[in-house]
Amino acid sequence: MSDNLNRCILDQLIPGDENGWPAAGQLDLSESFVLLLERLSDHGLIHLNTVTDNLPTDFCLLSNLEQTQHLTAVEKDYPEAFQMLIKAAYSAYYTDVRVRLILERKTGYEARPPQPLGYDLPVFDETLLDPVRERGPIWRRVP
Amino acid sequence: MDKQSTDVVIVGAGASGLAFAWRLASLQPEISIKVIERGDFVDQRNAPSLNNDWEIALLRRFHGNPNIRRGDADYPVEDSDTPIKPSFFNAVGGSTIRWGAHFPRFRPSDFSVKSQDGVARDWPISYQDLENYMDINDEKMGVSGLAGDPGNPCRAERPHPPLGLCEGSSKLARAANRLGWHWWPADAAIISTDRPGGGRQACNNCGPCGMGCPRHARASADIAYLEDVLALGVNVETRSVVSHIQISGGKAHSIDIIDKNGIKKNIVCRELILAGNALSTNVLLQSSEGWNNSKLGKGLMLHPTAIVTGIFAEELHSYTGPFATSLVSQEFYETHPERDFVRGFQLQALRSQGPLSTALGGYGKSVSWGRGHAKIFEQSFAKSMSLTVTCEDLPEDINRIEINSEKRDRFDMPIAKMSYRLSENTKKMIGFGVDRASDWLAKAGAHKINVTKLSEQAGFHLMGTASMGEAGDGCVTGDDGRVHGLENVTIIDASVFVTASPVNPTSTLQALALRAADLMHHRLAQC
Repeated sequence: MSDNLNRCILDQLIPGDENGWPAAGQLDLSESFVLLLERLSDHGLIHLNTVTDNLPTDFCLLSNLEQTQHLTAVEKDYPEAFQMLIKAAYSAYYTDVRVRLILERKTGYEARPPQPLGYDLPVFDETLLDPVRERGPIWRRVP
Repeated sequence: MDKQSTDVVIVGAGASGLAFAWRLASLQPEISIKVIERGDFVDQRNAPSLNNDWEIALLRRFHGNPNIRRGDADYPVEDSDTPIKPSFFNAVGGSTIRWGAHFPRFRPSDFSVKSQDGVARDWPISYQDLENYMDINDEKMGVSGLAGDPGNPCRAERPHPPLGLCEGSSKLARAANRLGWHWWPADAAIISTDRPGGGRQACNNCGPCGMGCPRHARASADIAYLEDVLALGVNVETRSVVSHIQISGGKAHSIDIIDKNGIKKNIVCRELILAGNALSTNVLLQSSEGWNNSKLGKGLMLHPTAIVTGIFAEELHSYTGPFATSLVSQEFYETHPERDFVRGFQLQALRSQGPLSTALGGYGKSVSWGRGHAKIFEQSFAKSMSLTVTCEDLPEDINRIEINSEKRDRFDMPIAKMSYRLSENTKKMIGFGVDRASDWLAKAGAHKINVTKLSEQAGFHLMGTASMGEAGDGCVTGDDGRVHGLENVTIIDASVFVTASPVNPTSTLQALALRAADLMHHRLAQC
């Protein structure tokens, strides 16, 4: 396996778009992708080899359409291995600080861990329950 | 082999084991109690939710399935013959380390299913037998919620007020009102206000409760009970595996353990308490010679769960708040003559997840790779709410836990095998429940609805296989969890459940454990 091949695979899995999302390969995630494969499964690297062994050696030189077709075929034939690659690729991408900053800009979801700051919620509004209370008990009494 | 002796040995430092230890040690401080736990202590003050890559922890280290997690304390489970995979955690605190802390009570009707609906068996005890213990346990765990739920009998004020609703759960609440359905803020073992003493701070709505809580707002058995248990002089021995129960003459004389240094020990005890889960309890009892009960292992019950997710057009910030404890509907809890199934289900709102979990599918299918990935991700992130359809399972002998003595783990223990299939009743219930969940989400304004008809990684409530009742009725344990035919062995995990109810079992489980401790105290006091 090579960094270049991994980069090509990542670019196909998460190609980004014209609305500001970068392709995974452009973010140089190959190294963290491989580390995550090892971290997420005892067989992570075996799964990667299963996928790459079933791609043509000139995979990176093929057109986008051809690359997609090859990966689709491998996904069909080796679903478990392919799924592990998806898991590692998404993990590398969506925990990357550059991606998280884009997400923050687009949605307001702050690029930070959930703790220690947490989030604010309004106090529970009991008036919402008025119709439920008006209906009365619905639990089943037993002798 | 090292020899030790203690009055009471408890196997498992989880929800029931620590509750039992606390209660018995409080009532009878003069006796020696040892808790054996195969896992370690968990430092929740440094939970993964403090780190940027927190979601990755859920994929392995904090995954519920031991076959995926494969941690040092885990044992494999043969699960090829069940569509619902096992989910539990081995540590001090047990599975409450990685739970969502939804903390409902069984209803009174759950204890008399046979009398009311002609299926399964009635429990030998009633809701009233457990109510006081539930109140005690609510205080210890720290429960938020609101008294006065018309879906349940009157109950004591919750120790803490209900947790707030996010925009998504507020939409669901209003939609339920328009449908005329029952809903209520979820009981949660999560404190909404600071506890005196400073040890536990109020929930700050971070979301991912299932990986430990650095504020100790979300209860787990270790946070709620461990400090008191240790102060009472109970010995908690971690990273130690019970490998065998020495049984003869209708009594357990001792247990063999392998401690954290690999040293084999034999511990003689007056009373043996099994408090692991249905899998570990079955492995121990089925592999020990000198006693057997043909019903042991049969009647496994799970909570078959469908998850229905609604995608909304607008931003809901639905990652805000504890993921599993906003609100529930018990509109379809009980048997209804116009439905083609008996018993019922609970609908429980789930908030949305972080970006990685959203991409990996949240509670359903992952966002497809390739062209269009980013667009689909943007359309769903923070814009979804999900509903579980949590179905009451009924006990059937065909659903069971066995041991495979041909396959052994690294402690030379036989491997547990889960065999399970959905009943026709459950399939009908799921179908009906998915339709109702879809109705609810549509009424709330969801423009797209995704259905996971059966959640695979949802075997977190392992109930039955050693159910309570009379020995003559083929039951394994008495109404105090005492094993028939083994005078000093008591089971306090959910193996003893007679039926499953459609709600989470931990409140009932811990109440049973507290009650069993009281009964044991009376027995020991008479000796």
